[in-house]
Amino acid sequence: MGVRLHGEPDLEKPVLLAVWPGIGNIGLIAVDILRRALMAEEFGEIEPWDFFYPKKIAIRNGELKSLEFPSNKFYFKKTEKRDLIFFLGEEQPADIGRAYAEGKKAYEMAKLVLDVAQGFGCARVYTSGAAVARVHHTMRPRVWAVPNMESLIDEVRGYDNAVLMSGVEERAGQGHITGLNGLLLGVARKRGLEAICVMGEIPVYLQGLAIPYPKASKSVLEVLTATLGVKIAMEETEAIVERSEGEIEELYGRFPVEIREHLDRLKQLVHTRPTDSGPITEEDKRRILEEVDRFFRKGTEGDQV
Amino acid sequence: MTEAHLFKIYDGLHLPSSSLIVGWAQDTGRLGAQVIDCLNRGLGGKEFGEIEPEGFFPLSGVSIQDDVAQFPESKFYCCREKSLVLFKSDLPRFDWYKFLSLIVDIAERYCNVKEIYTVGGIFASSAHTTPREMFAIPNSPETKQVLQGYGLIRETEMEYETPLGQRPTLNSFLLWVAKRRGIAAAGIWTTVPFYLAALDDPRACRKTLEFFDRKFNLGMDFADIDKETKKQNDKMARLRFSLPEIDSYIQNVESNLGLTEQEVERLSAKVEEYLNKRD
Repeated sequence: MGVRLHGEPDLEKPVLLAVWPGIGNIGLIAVDILRRALMAEEFGEIEPWDFFYPKKIAIRNGELKSLEFPSNKFYFKKTEKRDLIFFLGEEQPADIGRAYAEGKKAYEMAKLVLDVAQGFGCARVYTSGAAVARVHHTMRPRVWAVPNMESLIDEVRGYDNAVLMSGVEERAGQGHITGLNGLLLGVARKRGLEAICVMGEIPVYLQGLAIPYPKASKSVLEVLTATLGVKIAMEETEAIVERSEGEIEELYGRFPVEIREHLDRLKQLVHTRPTDSGPITEEDKRRILEEVDRFFRKGTEGDQV
Repeated sequence: MTEAHLFKIYDGLHLPSSSLIVGWAQDTGRLGAQVIDCLNRGLGGKEFGEIEPEGFFPLSGVSIQDDVAQFPESKFYCCREKSLVLFKSDLPRFDWYKFLSLIVDIAERYCNVKEIYTVGGIFASSAHTTPREMFAIPNSPETKQVLQGYGLIRETEMEYETPLGQRPTLNSFLLWVAKRRGIAAAGIWTTVPFYLAALDDPRACRKTLEFFDRKFNLGMDFADIDKETKKQNDKMARLRFSLPEIDSYIQNVESNLGLTEQEVERLSAKVEEYLNKRD
């Protein structure tokens, strides 16, 4: 299992931003927008064949020419305030049909990513993902921030529009971050490396629909740019969010009226009382998820006729 | 580097040079396994080693098929006189690159394998009454040239990229692993009527065996497989006679007329049910 570096950029204490796909691709979209806006340069990749099943074959003139694997690339950018390393994984190393990495392969990949970053003197890591929350899609998503060391808690408290797990209703400081966006935090902790996972809120009723949720990516991006001290133009992001909101509104309009009435109650949510279960109870949540799932399954079956 | 605990070799082989044929137990028309079994029977193949399942297959229990508990197998056989090595395996679920590299490692190290062929069935919208077609996907220009002599290269038709949402086959993955090692390899693909996909297709098997027979001068006896083909054809004829609806679907397929998705499902289900009935 190896890493191929195409260059040796001269970096000073770079910050690593590492992301993999997940619910709504929230972290991946945020970090990719930042990477593109800063015009970060590719400088390496993790050899994919030990981790992934190939995604594409190319046959030319009747002969096998190439096999394409999910990409796992490193990029760098020197900014005025600090140097950055980006790592973007196109897939999590998982069994076919599963979305999240776990076990030996995931651990190996986490170690490889950190090996490269630490090889350049990295002292801080950010990962990013989704926080499934009882919120409405018309609301501004908050960012749930999870540091891997107590010493980072005060810093995280200072982030705008961000909340620690203890500040999330019903969470009481507990939770679980699935897959590599979470695992990297643990491996970094094991190495004494500071790491923070910033997760954009996605409405509970959108979590299973396999659609991107750039509105939460925007919230994540705002936290990341502020903490990293970089400025980027947000017009492109806003355009993506606007387009996505239109699509989600259209989808929402197709929900049965009784589900929508329930979900509309989420608009009344005010994030002030961590112990308050909010306008939708655990029982409501279970029922809504079942109904949304049933609704979309029914839609799919209908398409096949 | 291979790790010794990943495989077992029972019998030291000293083949000066050989060719490897790979077939998978889970294949369209059960073609891979059928071809390897026929070659083993016909050529007196001897099992000489296996890849251990740990790390490549889920070992949380066993699956049961046709009343019998199953366990993943990945075995090597040798037909010394013909300098042929055969490998038949269940499709691994994890660590595919390591598994495929092991096949190539063992074949090279213990059998001096110089070329690799994979066997695979491919869905076709043709009827069981029409001849099977066969083509090859080589992994190098040299192999392509060799296979052109057998009429197996569809140069004009073969510009292909895996469509979005699908994944390449393990056979293609193996060709690529061989290519990286500089080993000549080719995927041999034979068409299987879609309604025989979950069953044996002796006609596709014969077509594939004919190529290997010619390529390696094996002197195969096709009597058994011809008997199987006749038996299947007779059963299909009885099915068509007893179920006019199924007969009309097959007639449509024979006339290149399309079937609806429901008709495809019904035809496949009925054929599977009928052919699986014990005589």
